[in-house]
Amino acid sequence: MSALHAEAQAAQQRLDRGQPLSAFDGLGIAVKDNFCTSFLPTTCGSKMLEDFTSPYNATVVDLCLKAGTICVGKTNMDEFGMGSANAFSYFGPTINPHKSDTPRLAGGSSGGSAAAVASGMVFGALGSDTGGSVRLPASYCGIVGFKPSYGRCSRYGLVAYANSLDTVGLLTRTVEDAKVLYSLLDQYDINDPTSMPSELRNKVNVMTTRRRKMEARGDLTNVRIGIPKEYHVKELPESILRLWKKGIEHLKGLNATIVPISLPHTPYSLSCYYVLAPAEAASNLQRYDGVRYGYRSKTQSEERSPLYEDTRMEGFGEEVLRRILLGTYALTSEAFDNYYLQALKVRRLVRQDFDNVFALQNPLIQSDPNHDTPNDDNENTVDVILTPSAISTAPSMSEFSKLAGDPVHNYLNDVMTVPASLAGIPALSIPFGTDETDGLPVGLQLLSQYGDDEMLLSVGRVLQDV
Amino acid sequence: MLKATWEAVVGLEVHAQLKTRSKLFSEEATPTSFNAPVNSRVSVIDAAFPGVQPSLNKACVDLAVKTALALKCKVHQKSCFDRKHYFYPDLPQGYQITQQYEPIATGGKIIVDTLDGLDHDLEVKIHQIQLEQDTGKSSRDLVPGHTLVDLNRAGTGLIEIVTKPDMRSSKEAGLVVKKLQSILRAVGSCDANMEEGSMRCDVNVSVRRFGEPFGVRCELKNLNSIRSLTDGIDAEVARQIELLESGQPVKQETRGFDVVRNKTFSLRSKETAPDYRYMPEPDLPPLLLSQDYIQTAADTLPELPDKTRDRLLNEYQLDRQAATVLLSHSDMIHYFDQVMASTTKDAKVVANWITHDLFGILSVRSIPLQRNPVSPTQLGSLCNVVGEKVSGKVAKSLLQRMVDGDSRTADEIIQSDGLALDLDEEAVRQVCQKIMQREPAKVAQSQKNQGVKKWFVGQVMRETRGKADARMVNRVVEGMLT
Repeated sequence: MSALHAEAQAAQQRLDRGQPLSAFDGLGIAVKDNFCTSFLPTTCGSKMLEDFTSPYNATVVDLCLKAGTICVGKTNMDEFGMGSANAFSYFGPTINPHKSDTPRLAGGSSGGSAAAVASGMVFGALGSDTGGSVRLPASYCGIVGFKPSYGRCSRYGLVAYANSLDTVGLLTRTVEDAKVLYSLLDQYDINDPTSMPSELRNKVNVMTTRRRKMEARGDLTNVRIGIPKEYHVKELPESILRLWKKGIEHLKGLNATIVPISLPHTPYSLSCYYVLAPAEAASNLQRYDGVRYGYRSKTQSEERSPLYEDTRMEGFGEEVLRRILLGTYALTSEAFDNYYLQALKVRRLVRQDFDNVFALQNPLIQSDPNHDTPNDDNENTVDVILTPSAISTAPSMSEFSKLAGDPVHNYLNDVMTVPASLAGIPALSIPFGTDETDGLPVGLQLLSQYGDDEMLLSVGRVLQDV
Repeated sequence: MLKATWEAVVGLEVHAQLKTRSKLFSEEATPTSFNAPVNSRVSVIDAAFPGVQPSLNKACVDLAVKTALALKCKVHQKSCFDRKHYFYPDLPQGYQITQQYEPIATGGKIIVDTLDGLDHDLEVKIHQIQLEQDTGKSSRDLVPGHTLVDLNRAGTGLIEIVTKPDMRSSKEAGLVVKKLQSILRAVGSCDANMEEGSMRCDVNVSVRRFGEPFGVRCELKNLNSIRSLTDGIDAEVARQIELLESGQPVKQETRGFDVVRNKTFSLRSKETAPDYRYMPEPDLPPLLLSQDYIQTAADTLPELPDKTRDRLLNEYQLDRQAATVLLSHSDMIHYFDQVMASTTKDAKVVANWITHDLFGILSVRSIPLQRNPVSPTQLGSLCNVVGEKVSGKVAKSLLQRMVDGDSRTADEIIQSDGLALDLDEEAVRQVCQKIMQREPAKVAQSQKNQGVKKWFVGQVMRETRGKADARMVNRVVEGMLT
């Protein structure tokens, strides 16, 4: 506590002198416990890393500290990021700060970060989003959850769950706050081989400044909003559907053009995700063997493979073990072609779905000089897509326990968020009122083309004003 | 060795440690080093701490590409990295990053011929070359009941060179490995020292009756010298033939070689072989190489052993033995070229001084060739004065002085020590005259016996104590005794 105090005092002195380190100097932030910090333990919500302190800081943590923000603590999460409700933490579930007749879960996996922001403990928080881990808790807790394009913010020091899907995510109360925090972290990092290189960032800048300009704030005359029919799933309750419609009406009222679109491979996203993410996770989690750091079993079992089996069985929770098994199977030589390679193909199709509907060309595709922006004038293309963020409000503890025996049902929660993760495109969850049946917050999700994070934040700002 | 109707079929998987300053995926963090204190060359990346990511070291790519080009492989403009999973204490990530599906190079060949010591020409095709990480080292029971782990080597860059099963005997396999060593050393990509482990060979061995299809193969592992490689192959071939001749099948498995008992033994069978669960490495984008980059690497490739040998034999007209001795010490080729540049004598004389006299003295003094104290200019000056200013005998003593630390040129030493061949023909004639008067009987014999003439030459040389030119003494003696 005294260390925080000293940091706060130092920040105050800088402000008094009129020499703040940045516009955020002295602001309190919370950091999800899968970002490495050398000054606090990094547990990933797991017994495996209960006593682990990293020898280095994650790049995004360093960027926050350099700007003068004060990291007031690390936040609870589903173990290694695996979960949608934040019920799978070794340290216990994260409770949603919203008042309700019965305790509700904060959502996962970045539940601790969402709860810290929603309860006003901090200005903003770092989370991570692999299949919706920032957007779901944001929706459940009634705050803004932003998953920038894959590669925008450095993952160096973010403990990997599924590298090809993991992104740094931001949780704040307003879109404006998300925007300022994002401007701090949106940087190339040489230590992250998947960081968006500077040339690509420049290319995106050129492409986005060239396209149709958005009008002054509050008017969306030139903006085309896509409504994908595949997101109208049967699990979506009437109450959330109504809020989605309300969002559409609101944007229409600001002169946006509403375009019904189709993203035909959306129904395959969830199964694709639940092959790829566990496969990468099983691989990434091989390193937790008790040899160099982390939990090591005290059991000296001679008949079983010494050390590994006991350490891993005791150190990992049930959901992590389940996904390791799933992922391990998907990578065995007998399953690889039918599961893993098949899932990679589906992933490509999901990305193509988005490329087909966005007016802005995917900057990752080598552009044909003769057809610079082929989708630009097409009547059927859109700038932003609007969907619900989740198929429910925050589940209560008892509801969740009832369904705990049915992992597949839990995986369904990610149905709205997973396609954007597979495509690597940016996604933003905006708090949009409350559900009429239970009075709990509901979020709407905005999606845009890869690299077009700016458009997302602009439209998001308009939407949150309702 | 082989029974007449059987033929061995041998393929190689060679792991060569890349001679770079730092490791394959932790360029900034950790220098590579042989024999550094245990666990003193380990970064958070090498020890697979949570949250780290690999960054490809370009220097490793450079060496892999050069090696591939030297082996006439096709270098691919796009290659990819994959993870190969297994649990072992010296494998911190729980997987090795390698190139299973799209390697950096494919094709290529190693050619061994009569000049390499084979009685026929052999072309061994290369299947592929892949870039990958080395593991750490585990020592079991150094402390009883414990496995100790040293991660200094973990993450060091390797290239794995996989050949086709194109060898038919242990001798061929041994010579192919030798040839590969000389190529790797010439390129500078690897020390290729099997004993120190900078080069490691796994061998696939099967046998078949002539003309029949390939048999079931076994993989021999942990062979740490060319000798144990050839012995291991011979032992395995004998074992397989014995099995087949007694009607038993060969089972596909991985085997080790017990040098003491000269027998191979089973390490693990195919049934217990691990499923490595290969997966594309999600943190590393494909490695893209431009045609320009590959072309530049090809253009700057150093001279390769076959070309050097050709130059020694044809351009310099060295005999095969001298050429072979020079070639077996790749560092000495450059030395030889430098000496040639500073002398007027022909290559045979220079090669002779290097391979006989210099190597001989160094060997007696136990000085490794890498620490040869005689500069090319010194040796060049020595070659220049032999038979001109000093006798061979004096020259040898000069060389010894140079090895012992005298850094002057031959001319400088001769000048200051008065060692020159300064006796003219008249002076030699007088000495010869004196000896003939002393030995009339020998003079009489010399008419019939050529050997006696040589005796006279020896006597003159001794009396003039190396200050007379031997050829001139020969000429004078010949003239006076006729």
